[in-house]
This record gives sequence, C-alpha cells and structure tokens, in this order.
Amino acid sequence: MRINFERTGGFMGMRLAVEVQTERLTSTEAEELETLVESARFFDLPAILKPQTGSADRFQYKLTVERGDQFHTVETSESAAPENLQPLIERLTYVARSQRFT
Amino acid sequence: MSNHIYCYQCIVPPHMLRKIVENGSTAQRARAMESLSVSGQFRGQRQALTEMPRIGPLAAAAEAVKQRTIYDAGFGTTLPGVKVREEGAAPSSDVAVNEAYDGSGYTYDLFLDAYQRNSIDGNGMRLNSTVHYGRGYDNAFWNGQQMVYGDGDEDLPPDQRIFNRFTISIDVIGHELSHGVTQYEAALAYAGQPGALNESMSDVFGSLVKQESLNQTAQEADWIIGAGLFTSRVNGVGIRSMKAPGTAYDDPILGKDPQPAHMKDYVNTIEDNGGVHINSGIPNHAFYITAIEIGGYAWEKAGRIWYVTLRDKLQSSSNFSQAAQATYQAAGELYGVGSPEQLAVQKGWDGVGIQIGTGNGENQGCLAAPLTFLQSLFQPKKSMKKESSEAERPEHW
Repeated sequence: MRINFERTGGFMGMRLAVEVQTERLTSTEAEELETLVESARFFDLPAILKPQTGSADRFQYKLTVERGDQFHTVETSESAAPENLQPLIERLTYVARSQRFT
Repeated sequence: MSNHIYCYQCIVPPHMLRKIVENGSTAQRARAMESLSVSGQFRGQRQALTEMPRIGPLAAAAEAVKQRTIYDAGFGTTLPGVKVREEGAAPSSDVAVNEAYDGSGYTYDLFLDAYQRNSIDGNGMRLNSTVHYGRGYDNAFWNGQQMVYGDGDEDLPPDQRIFNRFTISIDVIGHELSHGVTQYEAALAYAGQPGALNESMSDVFGSLVKQESLNQTAQEADWIIGAGLFTSRVNGVGIRSMKAPGTAYDDPILGKDPQPAHMKDYVNTIEDNGGVHINSGIPNHAFYITAIEIGGYAWEKAGRIWYVTLRDKLQSSSNFSQAAQATYQAAGELYGVGSPEQLAVQKGWDGVGIQIGTGNGENQGCLAAPLTFLQSLFQPKKSMKKESSEAERPEHW
C-alpha cells in the first residue's frame, strides 16, 4: 500500500508532505496504517470533503491511497474531516513531522 | 467588468448611510437604517448599527470591560477544555496560560485604546482562549468563537523540534483575535485575494499589538510575525516579515519564505485557499511602507486608516485594488484629502505595484464603476509600471 499525504494552510501556510510505502515499514507500523485506512473506510469517502469557505488558519489535507488495484484521493480540512478519518490524518501528520530530519 | 460583479450587494456605502442616519430626515433615516441592517447581514454581524450614535437603544453600548478566560485542552482536541484562569485571577504556573491571558489583554487594549472598539465584536465579547490543544499541534487558529493554541513540536525528541508553543509570540495572539474582528466586520472571504487581505489584516493588527505592548515606533519595530516560534534548529527570524516579505526564513528543512512583496511576484496557487498566507505579503508590505512613511507609532494613524477601512469600507469579496482605494479614501476622510497620511497610503500601495485611482478616492468603490468606465473612455490609460525603489527586490525563486 502506498499513501501520499499533504497538509497545507495553517497559521504558517507551510506545506508538510510525506509518501509512505507500507512495504518499507516494520510489520507493526504497516498493520497500524492498514487498520487506520480500513477504519476510515477510505475508499468509500467522497473525493472532496470541505466546507464551502475556509476557516481562518486551519489545515487542509490531501490524501491519496493506492492499495492493489484501488486508488483514491480525498481532499478535506481540519474542520470537515469525518471522525473516522481523523486518526489516519493524525498518524500521517506525525510521520511527516517526525521524518523531517531523516 | 469585475467591478459590477462585486457591487451586486452594495447600494450606498455604509459610511454614507451612517451620515444619513445622523443628519437626514426621518424618512431618510428610516431608509438608511434598513439598508444598513441588510448590509450588516453581509458584514457577518451588524457593527454598523451598534456603533451608530443617537439611535435609541442600540446606542447603549456595553460597558468596556475585559473578560478573559483561559482553558487547558490537556493535549486533547475537545474545546474549550478545563478552565484554568479567569479575568483578574493570579498568574498561573503555566507559561502558556499566562501568555494567552496577557496577549489577549494587550489585543483588547489596542482595539479599545486606539480605535474605541470594545472587544472582537465591538460589544464586549468575552475573550476565550484554549492552550495545549492537540498533540504535536504546530498551529493556532480562531474557530469563530475563541482562540486555540497548540504547543508546536512538544511530542518530538528535543533535537527534532522546530516549533515552540504558539502562545510564545504575542503577534500570533493578536493575529487570531483580529480574525474575529474581521469576521464581525468586512467578513472577508477566506480564499484568493479577499482571503489574503483577511490574513494581512490579522498580521497588521497582530504586529500592532506587539508594537504597542513594547511601545515601539514604526522605525523601531521588527515587523516580524511569529518571532520566537522557531526553535534554534531553524534558520529564520519568524514566519513572515512585513518589512521584507520573503526573507523571514530560509532553511534546509522548511525551505524558503514564499511571500511576495510586490504584485509582479503574486503567487497563483490552489493550495492554502489560493495562497492566503503567501500573497498576504503584498498588502502587509503596503501597510509597512505606509506606516514608515507616516512615522511615529504605527497603530495611531496607519493602523486607524486600516481599521476604519476594515470596519466600514471592505466587503467579503474585496480584492487588493479595492482595498487600496478604500484605505486611500479612509485616509482622506480621517486626515484630509492630499494630507501627508493620504499620500503615505498611496506610496504604500505604489510600492507593491498597486496604483491608487485619480481623485481623492471619494468616487471609488461601488458607486464608481460606471464613472470609472466613463473616465477610462476619456482619459489616457495610466501606465501600470511605475519606477519604485521600494518595489525592487532580488528574485528569490
């Protein structure tokens, strides 16, 4: 499984991005991400999940997941992301932030 | 033609309606009040009405009292969290709590002392802030009702941290509260040029909160937004520079500050709601040039011009050019047509590549679209390019 994650906006307006290939992770890390994608029902989510107008200084997200022959992109925002997608966003944000120096 | 599009909700500008309410006949007053209440709906809330003098119960403004409350989210995301400090209570042992308390106090004071505005809504709204929001939350925001601050990279090992807590910088606090003021006034749409203006207004008043708290003149101020937010691992002085947009940071991990200082470098992007935190560099720099040109304390005159513009003259769809005309008009009304202050505003926008129209600005705006069109038929078109040393800077990317 491959995941592309992008975060933009926020007070700083800085882009944060990471690409994760679960084949390169430990089996525990890979399983965790698989579970989060599953519990988000990621492939059933609409492509755009955003409010009509942005709210000041909050983040926007773009996630693309490739799994087997499945491929799906979801664009959402901090205030509009459904509850079951939030743990995946939180995990990927942490991965992106903690890999800045690697 | 774009003038016609943004004029659809605008019949007579609010400041003219105010004059009619103050001085007009009974019938004129009634009609003006009705118009103002309609336009007030577009301005998020009805500031125009609450500030109107001599119109009965509405004039009974709330007594100006600061009411701050600080909450602790305990690294969760449930708002507002646990109450940890109320107005008048002794300082906490938690530095973030005290920074949020003091910073929102300085912001309240600036708007009251300099612009006679009683809190965010102009009507004594409570100032609620939540600190310790989320884990590794490298952000601060205004959610429509309150301020929210994360602790940056507190969840990472110390040698990997690049962001400190977001209350560390008083202008960040002023920035977030000013989003609230914008919400209650022009309600600038949070995308494209209106969005960049929305961001710029928050940077302007955020910086002015800092300048007033430090008693700094325009010359003395650093004009940096978010000084102190970066840890020592980052090569940068802050998030944005109003004095020199595009120069706040240049770092191997974070990249380079992408802000333009001039229209020729305007960034077209779909990210960040159309680059609202990027292109804000242009109006930010126009304000900086104006404030330096006027001299003294920036919140007194330049800040007042921008505040009156935000309160009375902008609407949700206003673009840079319309904002430029509106500040010029406000400066003319406040300090006189052709006054040094009005010329400073013109110089400020000229320095970022935005020309102020001819005349004193009174003919600009909603009513001027047909007039501007007619003028354009009879007057030679002004060159869009104008020499300006302020405007020139090296290409960074």
